[in-house]
Amino acid sequence: MTRPTIKVRCFRYDPETDAEPRFQEYQVPMEDGEMSVLDCLRHIREHLDPGLAFFAGCHLGFCQRCTLRVNGKVVLACETTAGGDMDLEPVNADEVIRDLWCGST
Amino acid sequence: MAETLYDRDLTCDVLVVGSEGAGGPTAINAARAGLDVLIASKGRMGRCGASQMAGADFNLDGRSAIALGLPGDERDSPERFFEDLVREGFFLGNQRMVEKYVEYAARNTADLLEWGMPVFRFEQVHAEEMARGIITSGVRWVRILRRKAREMGITVLEDTMVVDLLTREGRACGAVALDLRSGEVVLIKARSVVLCTGGWQQAYHFNSAAADLTGDGQAMAFRAGAEMIGMEMVQYIPMTMLWPPLARKSILPYIMMETEVGPLVQLLNGEGERFMQRYDPTTMEQSTKEIVAIASELEVEAGRGSPHGGVFFALKHLTPEGIDFVWGKFVEFLDQNGDKRSEFRKLLPHLLEMAKTEDLEVGNAVHFMVGGIKVDERTRTGVPGLYAAGECSGGLWGSVRVASATTQVGAQGRIAGETCPEYVGSVEHAEPERAQLEAVRERIMAPLERSDGARPIEVLERMYGITDEYLRVIRDGEGLQNAYDELNWLRRDEASRLHVTASRTRRLNREWHLCLELENMLLCLEMSALASLRREESRGGFYRSDFPYTDNDRWCVNAVISNRDGEPSLRLEKPVVTSMQLPSGRMTFEEAVASGTASLRRGEVEQP
Ligand SMILES: Cc1cc2nc3c(=O)[nH]c(=O)nc-3n(C[C@H](O)[C@H](O)[C@H](O)COP(=O)(O)OP(=O)(O)OC[C@H]3O[C@@H](n4cnc5c(N)ncnc54)[C@H](O)[C@@H]3O)c2cc1C
Repeated sequence: MTRPTIKVRCFRYDPETDAEPRFQEYQVPMEDGEMSVLDCLRHIREHLDPGLAFFAGCHLGFCQRCTLRVNGKVVLACETTAGGDMDLEPVNADEVIRDLWCGST
Repeated sequence: MAETLYDRDLTCDVLVVGSEGAGGPTAINAARAGLDVLIASKGRMGRCGASQMAGADFNLDGRSAIALGLPGDERDSPERFFEDLVREGFFLGNQRMVEKYVEYAARNTADLLEWGMPVFRFEQVHAEEMARGIITSGVRWVRILRRKAREMGITVLEDTMVVDLLTREGRACGAVALDLRSGEVVLIKARSVVLCTGGWQQAYHFNSAAADLTGDGQAMAFRAGAEMIGMEMVQYIPMTMLWPPLARKSILPYIMMETEVGPLVQLLNGEGERFMQRYDPTTMEQSTKEIVAIASELEVEAGRGSPHGGVFFALKHLTPEGIDFVWGKFVEFLDQNGDKRSEFRKLLPHLLEMAKTEDLEVGNAVHFMVGGIKVDERTRTGVPGLYAAGECSGGLWGSVRVASATTQVGAQGRIAGETCPEYVGSVEHAEPERAQLEAVRERIMAPLERSDGARPIEVLERMYGITDEYLRVIRDGEGLQNAYDELNWLRRDEASRLHVTASRTRRLNREWHLCLELENMLLCLEMSALASLRREESRGGFYRSDFPYTDNDRWCVNAVISNRDGEPSLRLEKPVVTSMQLPSGRMTFEEAVASGTASLRRGEVEQP
């Protein structure tokens, strides 16, 4: 059975080595039919790219450290359903330590 | 030359590792005593660990509650609270620690009220952990601790993982930490160290807790020569969301069961049967966490589970109007208390809406570590200068936690903060030994420097495979032996050659952090499997299908693990007794259920 996959475009940036940010595209299978944005990111890190930097904490909206932008909108990755292709960006690109992880989150 | 071993160094009187329910009060009380305190936290204070996620309830006996101006209960007393805790913990608890718990439960509550913690509700009768005290919010609790620590000017190193302790002539003299943001290695010289690092829930795939809880404190204490106690006692929480995936790991159904709605909820097996009537016909679904967890798993094992390996949490019979009414009541309660937690505000209505047409699937998640670093009633480990408070410590509860953990961590935090000043006043800073520093540095850097070896994700998945298969609520000798052998091999042969496969950066490199955490999780699991294998009986939340009875004649003893040349070595030790004699004889599972839920039923009888 082939599971439906979605395209996730992630903001990648290491201010120490990269001249500028870029987007990297990953194909993420919708394993259970319903996944949170945070689940997608974990899938990427566990199966596709262990080097991707983002924050995963409590999974249930308490710590709020997984705040990021999904298609431009600021949300918590853990409580947002991944519906269809999406662009993931840090809350504030100027504060990025690496990839989706900002100094302020 | 030292510069090559660390990038920065700091000095303090007390290093508190972990910033939350236990770490906060430890730091605050040590600072009150005039000590120079430094907190190092793997996360950000008020946004990490289990504490933020707690319900939360704070216990104290009814009489002490009245003394604090709360609507307590005259019939209750510190002595009665003590007796309930020892009896329902099946007598493995250190009675001196339980006495201190009861005494400091009241002090902890007084502190928190003084610092501005809101009281949502007071519950009078001891009904497992949700009563005999205050209901409030974990988020509000940790934010209050953070505010207090800030007011007192306590320095917090955030996103900083302490990797190992340093000792000199057998005494703790500091630690080495990794600044996760910069990748810098930080040397912290301290006259004493208090570990407040929480549990090792992340070693299990299905757990209810936060990502930073990987048993680092237990593992580093073990490496420094401290002992562990009760490592086999792992508390599972039943009624944790398995399905739908967005809600996975949320304990909302369990929380609902503890509210007024609880008696309306039905737990059903795959055949639509209310199975609790076969295990605990008196208290049914309202039984203790342990009993519901064991019953749920027995149903799954018997092939009567739900599609995703759990049981059903059913509300459908209440009708859509009934469910809306339930939600209305919740909103009222939340509004009254200004409670904004998203789990309640967003997830709960989503689940209730679903529950109108389908039953939710729930299962047993690893929730709380009953055992941990062996301490005495003043939080002292066997290593001078090293203390442990909160969930990372062990010895208080015995075989099952029957009262509030949030109270435990606050009480022990205060005790630790009061205990270490005396010691700190008696010692000078000791220079760390170069050989130790080199060894820690090597442990930290090796995964980044190795060009091949074991892949961390693969080791993680194998570890989950072992815990999923063998280290479940229901255990047996054969499975435990397999678990122990596989874990021992994984730790010694694989975890020792982990390597970072992707980015080699030192900044926010999660794959690297995972390498360091895996060693710790595997060590905790191995100790847990070892103690589980030795304990040939069932007791409290610990259940072995090959020994399904409580055997007081042989097993009213604690499993204590010490470090023998780097390897865990187990011995048995009688619990510390003050006023309650240890029981004798054997109890069947049914008798144990009756004994373990005694105060639940007493509540029903005595309620006016
Ligand atoms: C979902 C959930 C709900 C709960 N509800 C309740 C409830 O209603 N009532 C109740 O009594 N109990 C409840 N509990 C249990 C209770 O919340 C915890 O036992 C308690 O809060 C633990 O407090 P702690 O300070 O010991 O550890 P934690 O709060 O887990 O904090 C551990 C700290 O140590 C830090 N740390 C870990 N490793 C390192 C390291 N290597 N270096 C530096 N820092 C480190 C962490 O980042 C964190 O700051 C609940 C638990 C969960 C998971």
